[in-house]
Amino acid sequence: MARGEIELSNLTKEFADVRAVDGIDLHVPAGEFFSLLGPSGCGKTTTLRMIAGFERPTSGQILLDGTDVAYTPPHHRNVNTVFQNYALFPHLNVYDNIAFGLKRAKRPKQEIRERVGKALELVQLSGYERRKSSQLSGGQQQRVALARALVLNPAVLLLDEPLGALDAKLRKALQLELKSLQQEVGITFLYVTHDQEEALTMSDRLAVMNGGHIEQVGAPQDVYEDPETLFVADFLGVSNLMEARIVNAAASACKVAVDGYELETRGTELDVTGEAKIVIRPERIELETHGSPAGANRVPGMVERVVYVGSAIQVIVRAATGESLQVLVQNTGGGIPYEQGTPVQLHLPADALRVLPSGIGDAPSLKGEEQVEEPAAAD
Amino acid sequence: MTSIAEREARPGFSPLARLRGWLRNPWGRPRFLVLVTWAYILWSIVPVLIAVQFSFNASRSRTVWDSFSTRWYWGDPVDSVWHDPTLRHALVQSFKLAGADVLIAVPIGVLLALGLARWRGRGSGLSNFVMLFPLVTPEIVMGVSLLLVFSELFTFIHTGTVAQILGHVTFSISFVVVIVRGRLFSIGRQYEEAAADLGASPFVALTRVLLPLLTPAIVASAAVVFAISADDFVISQWLSQGGDTDTVPIRIYSATRAAPLPSVNAIATIMMISTLLIVTVGFLTWRFFTRGERRAGKSAEDFGGAFNLT
Ligand SMILES: Nc1ncnc2c1ncn2[C@@H]1O[C@H](COP(=O)(O)OP(=O)(O)O)[C@@H](O)[C@H]1O
Ligand SMILES: [Mg+2]
Repeated sequence: MARGEIELSNLTKEFADVRAVDGIDLHVPAGEFFSLLGPSGCGKTTTLRMIAGFERPTSGQILLDGTDVAYTPPHHRNVNTVFQNYALFPHLNVYDNIAFGLKRAKRPKQEIRERVGKALELVQLSGYERRKSSQLSGGQQQRVALARALVLNPAVLLLDEPLGALDAKLRKALQLELKSLQQEVGITFLYVTHDQEEALTMSDRLAVMNGGHIEQVGAPQDVYEDPETLFVADFLGVSNLMEARIVNAAASACKVAVDGYELETRGTELDVTGEAKIVIRPERIELETHGSPAGANRVPGMVERVVYVGSAIQVIVRAATGESLQVLVQNTGGGIPYEQGTPVQLHLPADALRVLPSGIGDAPSLKGEEQVEEPAAAD
Repeated sequence: MTSIAEREARPGFSPLARLRGWLRNPWGRPRFLVLVTWAYILWSIVPVLIAVQFSFNASRSRTVWDSFSTRWYWGDPVDSVWHDPTLRHALVQSFKLAGADVLIAVPIGVLLALGLARWRGRGSGLSNFVMLFPLVTPEIVMGVSLLLVFSELFTFIHTGTVAQILGHVTFSISFVVVIVRGRLFSIGRQYEEAAADLGASPFVALTRVLLPLLTPAIVASAAVVFAISADDFVISQWLSQGGDTDTVPIRIYSATRAAPLPSVNAIATIMMISTLLIVTVGFLTWRFFTRGERRAGKSAEDFGGAFNLT
């Protein structure tokens, strides 16, 4: 019997002056690693806190394995949380922190000892029982928080930016560890993050949130390759946007005109006519030398700027259509291949170009915004 | 390649210049402030030390030093603190009031702080404000009003020990509330939520998580309540019934208006040292319970913040 199926239906939370979560519908099957991804303030934490039971929904349902728990107090829900700042009890040592929930459930002493031992083994912290949380590093505290939640065998584990406080290298290592841990225990992980790379690497599926609602749900590669809205295209990595006019749109392929150049793009199910936007990822644009045979989906341009990023080289090209496009070229050694002012030809492969109607989720400027301090009350 | 002008500007030539250089060293500690601090400490502690010194005087003078003796503590068969019944009573009365005050005001204050910190919405702002009233009301006003209340309204309470305790509790609760609420805010809601998340009912979360975390603030507020109660003169005086219900401050006050003996210094010294001991115990307990937090670099704002003891 699979446990840990979550179904949110029309879930809404209003605070005094903001609608933090605005009618979310979501289905997460049991055993999935599911991420809520979105910029700061989009309502991820509030959603998670409603599932944990710390906030009461204004309206809507939270079904956990088929039962509506929206108004069940948190200590009666079979979900556990890993808090962003861990919230390890400072007056208890590692052992007592992990045993806290088992003691509340009045398990026999012997069983508590065994289960705490196993949980510590699971997070590779055996031998740290007597330490206080203040004597642990950030990564170790994070593991204790994980063990403390997992030891209770919850149906669902909720994680609110659990790696947010760690440095980049540790975060990378723990991403992989968390993912394999989830596969090992096999329960549903609902993971909140504002880091698109984190969400893409770890999740089975993810939902991109914006302003209290969900923009798109899907597997990482679907959401990344096939963004349905401008917001998603922009939030998941850099996207080049171009104004276009639809010549004809069909499910198999579309033709658009960009400032006199006719381009073929992927098909779209959406019913679009007139003005639209087309997007393409920087790594999908191919640079060809000036004078290569012209052909379909090719636009001349001129190199404006070259930025050395390390693993790749970022080339900003002013296309003849007027847009300035970002192109990512793999760094294969041999120095920087282009210099400012070099005329080039851009190849925009048809299967990498996507038509998006203007107006839907039109907030690309949100991307790359500085992370605003979250209100203290929210965490 | 130092120019002559530069060399002359360097400190170290005349003593005055050296002092100025020492004071103004912008890389060192703010020495001017250090000097002011030490001057203040000396200024405030010297009278206390003199008072303590004369409590050990062998003669009956409080101004001319003779030799060391413990006569005024217990040696003198009539006038020592131990043998003079009025002094002994005053000491007992002071400790009785302070002890009862701690036992009553601290639990009530903790409950009020919990209630006020968790109560959001209409009326919470007002009651938070009202809570500060006893802190800003002049004590004499408080004393007079309490006397009125006991003689006109609640006439079944007569002046004396019970009225004095009620008076002390009235103004002590505010201190407890302020200290404990400060700690509550610095703790935040996260530990309670974590406890609930792990299956603890609100009551268990309170007893197993919140109260242990509040312990330093509770101990600190108990120490503070003891100190201010032992120190109180105005309210004890207004609500006293004379004689048996005089506290140490009242007794000292009336003694110094007659012909004071060094036994007054002795009883004051005893009071001061006991209060100091209790506050120290409170402070050490606070340090003990928050040592982990301080090591982790978190701020513990209650005791340290409220009383600058760190
Ligand atoms: N307790 C609260 N009271 C009032 N507003 C809140 C509260 N918690 C969150 N909010 C607001 O709800 C919105 C969503 O917040 P949150 O869920 O924390 O976003 P995220 O976790 O995605 O950054 C924000 O605008 C925030 O200011
Ligand atoms: Mg958040």
